[in-house]
Amino acid sequence: MSRNKGITKKKKRSSATRKEEMTAYLCLIPAFLGLTFISYLPTLAAFILSFFDWNGMTAPKFAGISNYIQIFTHDMSFWPSLKATLVYAFITVIGSLLYSLVIAMLLNMKVPARTFWRAVFFIPYMLPAIGVFTAWKWLYEVNYGLFNFILRSMGCSPMQFLDSPRQVLPSLALIAVWCSGNLIVIFLAGLQNVPRVYHEAAQIDGASYWQRFRYITLPSISPIIFYNLLMALITNLQVVTPALAITDGGPQNASMFLSYLIYEYAFERYKLGYSAAYAAIFFVLVGIFTVVLFRSSKSWLFYEEDGE
Amino acid sequence: MGESKTLNTNQAGKLSNKKVNEKIGSGVATAVLAITAVLVLLPLYWIFRSSLMSNGTLYAYPPSILPKEWLWGNYATTLETFDYWLYFKNTFTLIVPCVTAGTITAIFCGYAFARLRFRGKKIIFTLCVGTILLPGMVTLIPLYLFWTRICHLGGTYWPLILPYFTGGGFFNIYLVRQFITTIPKELDEAAEIDGASRMRTLWTIIVPAIRPAITVVILMLFIQLWNDLLQQLIYINDMTKTTFAIGLTNFTGSFGTKWNYAMAATCMTIAPGLVIYIIGQKSFVEGIVLTGMKN
Repeated sequence: MSRNKGITKKKKRSSATRKEEMTAYLCLIPAFLGLTFISYLPTLAAFILSFFDWNGMTAPKFAGISNYIQIFTHDMSFWPSLKATLVYAFITVIGSLLYSLVIAMLLNMKVPARTFWRAVFFIPYMLPAIGVFTAWKWLYEVNYGLFNFILRSMGCSPMQFLDSPRQVLPSLALIAVWCSGNLIVIFLAGLQNVPRVYHEAAQIDGASYWQRFRYITLPSISPIIFYNLLMALITNLQVVTPALAITDGGPQNASMFLSYLIYEYAFERYKLGYSAAYAAIFFVLVGIFTVVLFRSSKSWLFYEEDGE
Repeated sequence: MGESKTLNTNQAGKLSNKKVNEKIGSGVATAVLAITAVLVLLPLYWIFRSSLMSNGTLYAYPPSILPKEWLWGNYATTLETFDYWLYFKNTFTLIVPCVTAGTITAIFCGYAFARLRFRGKKIIFTLCVGTILLPGMVTLIPLYLFWTRICHLGGTYWPLILPYFTGGGFFNIYLVRQFITTIPKELDEAAEIDGASRMRTLWTIIVPAIRPAITVVILMLFIQLWNDLLQQLIYINDMTKTTFAIGLTNFTGSFGTKWNYAMAATCMTIAPGLVIYIIGQKSFVEGIVLTGMKN
């Protein structure tokens, strides 16, 4: 009898399990659709398309790896654009991480009106990109812009900013740093999570501010640093909006980012296969950076023993 | 006489020293924050100021910090060519369905990952994580071809809206999932014992409990759309469907040298987001802080 009971119970449970599974799959329909039609199939399609020669009108012609050969050996814009992308991403990631970490640490001290300051630093993040870039284009204006006015009144010689191939990337990076209020808030959340007793104990032991930062704060927030670093890197490698909004890739192609080239080849020169080859190369590039970051994180990422 | 007293004052001195140090630290921190905050807000003030000046005074040297006369008429002039309310209507016709769809589907998916057991969970989850690392530029052309050639939706908002029916990006699903896992399971079990279905539990018990996460999801989706220029540039080619992003690009393109009008248009474009932020500031930032801690 008891065995019978066991069997019916098992049956019942399995039907409940099945019902649970059905509910789960139903709930996940949006995710399935997204995975299939928004993410993985289009990625696959981009790779396939990269082996074709197609202007979008006539029938696509199979071209083997000629698109890739063209890009690596004959395309004058590829290497400069790769360099521009990497330089921009590097300056922006380092700049915005440092800026937001410092501001977050200041906010984490005993300062009056902390929520007010926090709100202020978050504002630029809430502004529409196109508005931000139009505004900064005016601030960077060589003759009448705010920045050159400040430089002149401090006795420095004015700069070219967006008009100079050498200064355009740092200038654009500064805009991105200005907009990184979200990183501040995430860092602040992480800092508030560091148990105060650690700092108090270290203070009693006579640890200096720097030592406490180096051996308590940094390890405790290393997962948050990693998260912010990864997200900032992926976002900034994909940079395209500043080129679309204000620089058009210039001056002298100095801000011709890889993403902007993908856009330009596809939607202005109608070389879809060629553009897809760029996209595929770009995919591999982002992949390499992600893998390297994950690998390296094992040596500096610190998780608390009882953590998840 | 002296010994015990000096010892005492010494100790007191040490203590107050520490306090004084702390006070100095906090004072310095506040000062640095205040200066940085002024620097952060300076560009915003500058564009506002520029929007109220005549082009002549704008090019005067040295520039005046305050406009000599406040030319509110600049805004009226700008509005003659900058079709603000059309862009406003169009932008929100685009944003509202996207944010709604993204939020609701993210809740469903996040719930499934957090609470339900099913086969293939690990694989599906990993595949979803992979999409975060997948650059949007890679899928740009195939998706464009898919929406315009296969679905024939070119020239409509659908290519911009439909992707948001998939959870609005895995980041949002993940956020919801993380937040749900922190809610005690007993809460939904109790509801289920009372005979509530899973969906009922989700919408009456779980959703109210994860409100901070939902606020953040809404905010993230809003910002994503608010910031987007590329997608809108590609899919919108009809003047009557122009959004802020396109409208401002075109406006500054044709009024490149009239910076006062360009800045007036910029200020008007920035305004809706600022207003929403000022109203919801507290719950936005606190939501991010809360969800940040769950990571």
